[in-house]
Amino acid sequence: MVVYDIRDLVKIYPGQTTPANRNITLQIEQGEIFGLLGDNGAGKSTLVRQMVNLVRSTSGSITLFGQPIQRDPLFVPMNVGYMPQDGLALNNLTVDEALFFTSHLRGLSRADANRERDTLLDLLQMRELRSKIIPRLSGGEKRLLQIAIALASNPPVLILDEPTNNLDPQRRKLVWETLRRRNRENGTTIIFITHDAIEAEKVVQRVGIMREGGLVALGKPSELKALVDKKLRLELFFSPDTPPCLPPTLPCRKLDAGRWLVLLEWDEMMPALNRLDLSQLDDFRLYSATLEDLYLHYAKQSA
Amino acid sequence: MQNSQRRRPAILVQLADLFLIQLSNWRWSWRSALIVGTAAPLGSIVALGIFARSAGPEALAYVLTGNMVLSLMFENLDKVCSNFSYMREVGTLNYFATLPIQRCMLVLATVLAFLTLSLPSLLVTLCLGSMILGVSLAPHPVILLVIPLAAIPLSGIGALIGTSTRNPQEASSISLLATLVLLGLGPVIVPPSRLPGIMLTLGRLSPATYAASALRQALPGPLTPRLWLDMAVLAGLSVVIFWLVGLKMDWRQQ
Repeated sequence: MVVYDIRDLVKIYPGQTTPANRNITLQIEQGEIFGLLGDNGAGKSTLVRQMVNLVRSTSGSITLFGQPIQRDPLFVPMNVGYMPQDGLALNNLTVDEALFFTSHLRGLSRADANRERDTLLDLLQMRELRSKIIPRLSGGEKRLLQIAIALASNPPVLILDEPTNNLDPQRRKLVWETLRRRNRENGTTIIFITHDAIEAEKVVQRVGIMREGGLVALGKPSELKALVDKKLRLELFFSPDTPPCLPPTLPCRKLDAGRWLVLLEWDEMMPALNRLDLSQLDDFRLYSATLEDLYLHYAKQSA
Repeated sequence: MQNSQRRRPAILVQLADLFLIQLSNWRWSWRSALIVGTAAPLGSIVALGIFARSAGPEALAYVLTGNMVLSLMFENLDKVCSNFSYMREVGTLNYFATLPIQRCMLVLATVLAFLTLSLPSLLVTLCLGSMILGVSLAPHPVILLVIPLAAIPLSGIGALIGTSTRNPQEASSISLLATLVLLGLGPVIVPPSRLPGIMLTLGRLSPATYAASALRQALPGPLTPRLWLDMAVLAGLSVVIFWLVGLKMDWRQQ
């Protein structure tokens, strides 16, 4: 089932001639984890703000579960939990109050909203923050609360604009685990924006890459990688003090001190590994093209 | 928690929750309520009272009720203006726009919350002001209607400025200017006999004139048929101003 059906979407802000996004056509299926990648200013945030009805489109159409989003102004808020990119806006509330009121205003009864608040506090390990007023939270704690607010009342669709910015590695892991669980157990459709392709690769099922307002690539990461780059990456780690001793037939390039990269065709992999003197290496890694390579490929195309 | 357990929140639920959310503004506003909403009108009462004493009890009643309007302006017009401007600046309006709530409920809840927050300042201004000026009070129960009707159009003007200006700094300057203009136009603090004709004419356009008139009749008295005209005008102005706020406010796509 198609959750979002976006067709020929264009947004030109008043007073500007360059479109913030142009001719975007995109369908997002129920239960998908969809990542939207792109540089700053590529039009990602404008697109998701159009999807949650915060920005009026210049032309084109967006339907959610088959219904045009502008027909009923309360339809999107009832079905979509949105986390904006900018800071938390509820500056006078405590964490407890923010979660309760959001759940209650999203349609839960008082008792259910209280239960939902407690569930979210446990889920995102925020119990000790519950009585704190929001301005007194750290940047990471505010981000975590924003995620909890988007999750509140378990909407069928989540749209998250750079959800793990400002979070430490432990909390990033917690957030991605939580989102994956919501997706697996409840079938929640998750659409998120990031420009951290390495992070996106851990969770994303399908990806769209935006450049200068347009959608320049769309598909499963594996399909896109196959189109762009089939080479394997062999990363070699030497002690920075020891000059590397590599077979002359291996074309390699230095990435950092003590870190070298060799690009290989699939059939070159075994001979190349056999030629290496593993006793001289600190470590090595072998992997196919990453989402970051893909992202950089499309970013480079634009230059 | 299953999605099927969610229903669109009823209008009264929206109003109650939004009112409580907006009431949480006391966490920042109580200091200025103490200083601006109470001390400034009381200072004005002391200063103007010195001159008004020689002009008789009518002038003293104008000073008292005019400064109550001043307190309402600081606590409603200015605060609601700051709140809407701030909400627009930091994205709070966007947060509300992504919840299944009606725009008019947010405006109404904000106005009611700031009206509630303004009551202590108003009461202190009334009690201490009447003691300082020696104005005897004969409050009529209609005061319970007059106070909200006096405050709501002022809040509406604040909301209109807050939603129309480009940033909080601009909003703050314009709301201060509006406060001074509304206070100066018409017989709010100064009796009509002391004002030039042009001011009396322009004062007919100002909600502060009708608010001060209604407060004068409901507190020191006496009650006259003019009170019903004042209340009708205040109610009409409230409707018009709120309609304009609805048009101007940044919100979801319509």
